[in-house]
Amino acid sequence: MVAPGLAEIFYYLGFIVVATLVPIIALFLIVTPRDAKPSPMKLETYEAGQMPSGRGRTRFIIQYYPYLLIFVIYDVVAMFLFAWALTLRTLQPPGSGTWPILIFMGVLLVPLAYSIHLASQRDLW
Amino acid sequence: MADPISDPIGFSLEIMTSPLFFKVAVFPGLTSIGIIIALFIWLDRKITARVQLRVGPLYASPLGGVLQSFADLIKFAFKELFIPRNADKFFFVAAPVLALIGGAGLVGLIPFTPEWQISNLELGLPAFLAFVTLSPMLILLAGWSANSKYPFIGGLRSLFQQTAYEIPLWLSAIGVVMMAGTMNLIGIVQAQSKPWVIFLGLSIPGWYIIPQALGALLFFITATAEMERIPFDLPEAEPEIIMGWQAEYPGFLFMSAAGASFVRLYAFSALFSVLYLGGWMGPAPVPALLWTAIKIIIVSSLIILLRATFPRVRIDQLLRAGWTYLLGLAFLNIVITYLLVVGPRI
Repeated sequence: MVAPGLAEIFYYLGFIVVATLVPIIALFLIVTPRDAKPSPMKLETYEAGQMPSGRGRTRFIIQYYPYLLIFVIYDVVAMFLFAWALTLRTLQPPGSGTWPILIFMGVLLVPLAYSIHLASQRDLW
Repeated sequence: MADPISDPIGFSLEIMTSPLFFKVAVFPGLTSIGIIIALFIWLDRKITARVQLRVGPLYASPLGGVLQSFADLIKFAFKELFIPRNADKFFFVAAPVLALIGGAGLVGLIPFTPEWQISNLELGLPAFLAFVTLSPMLILLAGWSANSKYPFIGGLRSLFQQTAYEIPLWLSAIGVVMMAGTMNLIGIVQAQSKPWVIFLGLSIPGWYIIPQALGALLFFITATAEMERIPFDLPEAEPEIIMGWQAEYPGFLFMSAAGASFVRLYAFSALFSVLYLGGWMGPAPVPALLWTAIKIIIVSSLIILLRATFPRVRIDQLLRAGWTYLLGLAFLNIVITYLLVVGPRI
């Protein structure tokens, strides 16, 4: 006998497995009875009616790089805030976890402000 | 329980008739997801048409074209599946199918009522939000594997857009966790069962839409951005980059790619009604499941109305608004919730 929480995880994984099987089976059912008629034009990529030129995976300017960097930090910050929010009602005395989280957020607001400042300077990127 | 080796037929019959199998296969599982998605596509087209003084789907059934999506499904299924010449074939096929599976995985966590839920995870809310995080990756994968310019631009846009909405989405959901003290979705609904205000014998339901009004608004906006629907449909903007990451997809794969966003519309409407609208709770004569359905239809109709009425935002506007206004308001919502829960003391 497994623990109830673990059983729920198994139910979920089983659901995902079944949900994976259904579209794959549907894909095979659809693909197999076809007579494919490939032609060079059909297999070209679409470029708004022009003949495609150059590589598909061209180089692009990453304009919003500071946002991406700060996102990596704040994704983790959100997890810490979740942990804090969950224990908010059970902490004794109430509100004892607030100063640490305020200092934590204050420290992290500085790089956020700097990255927004950097990202707003378009000519940098 | 029959032995699976000595009595395989009896074992499979027991599996087939078990309530869990019904949940996985019929409701709230796969069959119902398929049918509801088809109905959502019809609702989307019909509402948009009414707002724009058109008629929308009309002929496919006596009831205003309800069966149009099913007819489209059959048509898509018989289209030829061809893959662009230079594409990475495996990932090109896998990405939209995985997006569809990811959407179904979201629905598996939603409690429609305490009985009608596939998996009651203790960390249901973070699991939902973590599962959501996968979809921009899949869109980038689809855009990269197609080896074509427009899909690639769409994939990159999806990645940037994720950085804009993801943090406000999580932070607005934190308000609910602070109020409820649990991340279990059933627990969150049960925490809303106590009436909020009793005044001269009148009681307002204790749904979190009232104390969490700002959080609910932020969640609504960021969830719309997550679903990549207008006004935030940058990765597939038709007039700019020609359906973006979906541009190269034929037939069934296009149906999976487009259907995945509707599965997420369904799942997010359900999550919104669970977090903020009290889930299955409501006055007694209407059954609980019907209350959930009514709330889901109201929320999803609102999201569809946005599509019919708003223009598309620009990506730099979205990023800047996401990192300044939305993030700032999300922090403000946390402060307000803190004052509500703990009071003005540190």
